[in-house]
Amino acid sequence: MALNENEKINEIDVNELDCRDTKTFWEKFGNIFRSKSLWMLHYCTGCGAIELPPTMTSRFDMERFGMGPMATPRQADVLLITGYLSVKTLRRVIYTYEQMQTPKYVVGFGSCTLNGGIYYDSYAVISRLDYYLPVDLYIAGCMPRPEAVMNGFRTLLDMINKGDAQGWKRYLKYNDWYKRNQIRALGEVYVKDEFHE
Amino acid sequence: MNSMNDIINDLKNKFNPINFDIVSEKQFAIDVENEELQSILAYLKAQGWKQLTLLTCIDWIKENKFQLVYIIYNWDNPITINVRTKIDRDNPKFRTITSIYPGAEYYERDVHEFFGVEFEGNEKSKKPLFLELWDDIPPLRKDFDPLAYSKKKFDVRDYKVDFIPKEGEAE
Ligand code: SF4
Repeated sequence: MALNENEKINEIDVNELDCRDTKTFWEKFGNIFRSKSLWMLHYCTGCGAIELPPTMTSRFDMERFGMGPMATPRQADVLLITGYLSVKTLRRVIYTYEQMQTPKYVVGFGSCTLNGGIYYDSYAVISRLDYYLPVDLYIAGCMPRPEAVMNGFRTLLDMINKGDAQGWKRYLKYNDWYKRNQIRALGEVYVKDEFHE
Repeated sequence: MNSMNDIINDLKNKFNPINFDIVSEKQFAIDVENEELQSILAYLKAQGWKQLTLLTCIDWIKENKFQLVYIIYNWDNPITINVRTKIDRDNPKFRTITSIYPGAEYYERDVHEFFGVEFEGNEKSKKPLFLELWDDIPPLRKDFDPLAYSKKKFDVRDYKVDFIPKEGEAE
């Protein structure tokens, strides 16, 4: 099939892209390695998390991408948020995200993180995640099948490799905006824990 | 005193229940006056209904009443009893049953948080349990509008309404 007019590759465009590329050699180098070994922290709040066991285990085997599950935020690179977030969980998720080391990436999983899903009119469930945390990638579906999850992870790896997954930089740059949204929905982000008071 | 009918007759003799509802083979409901609720629960506990499975509330907004439902269970004689009573919706106050079932403390906090019922004698019942920093009327009352609250509190995603493909676009 012939390429149509605006899809044609010509030399001038390629050069222009190269000239506009401001990343240093080491940044590119780092991005390649980052995309090859990711630890994933999964904050499984909703029903969609049931698709993760087959994704991680032998059926679809997530580890062949160089991704593995991680139990602690400080050692993790990817924060996978599966499903609806009530205001109560959002508070904990923000804590978790802020404990992670940069570079860190957020993946929203399922339609509940996208637009509230079937809980769009609930008094306790937030309607979209990217107002409160910088989401690098959404995996749509209610719930997404393991194939979709794997496809999403591949896209994330490509984005990291190319340096497009910049959510953590956005969170630093527009921190005021994120904090304002968080306060608006939560009142305050501080977690009260009556059992340890 | 094993079959459900025996238990019902026994309760009819000892108390003045308003009404009985047979829910299923092993479950029945009994409606009582506010004053009798404590004594009937205490009596049933002594008879073996040792477990308070649930304490919850139903909002009968047209009648202007809250109905408190105490579901109790007997491990030796597997019959579930729902003991129910109606209280005034405008001034929802009731006595605590923590002296009979100490575990009711948390259920009473729950009902206070979601319906606004006050439980006298349980000084912890006003402590928040699930909702952190709640700032509206209790959310499970029928006159609370969750959609309006959600719109006011949480930002929603805007979608383009125009999905008609332009010429030459995917068909
Ligand atoms: S998107 Fe669907 S599957 Fe996922 S948490 Fe929401 S309701 Fe459950």
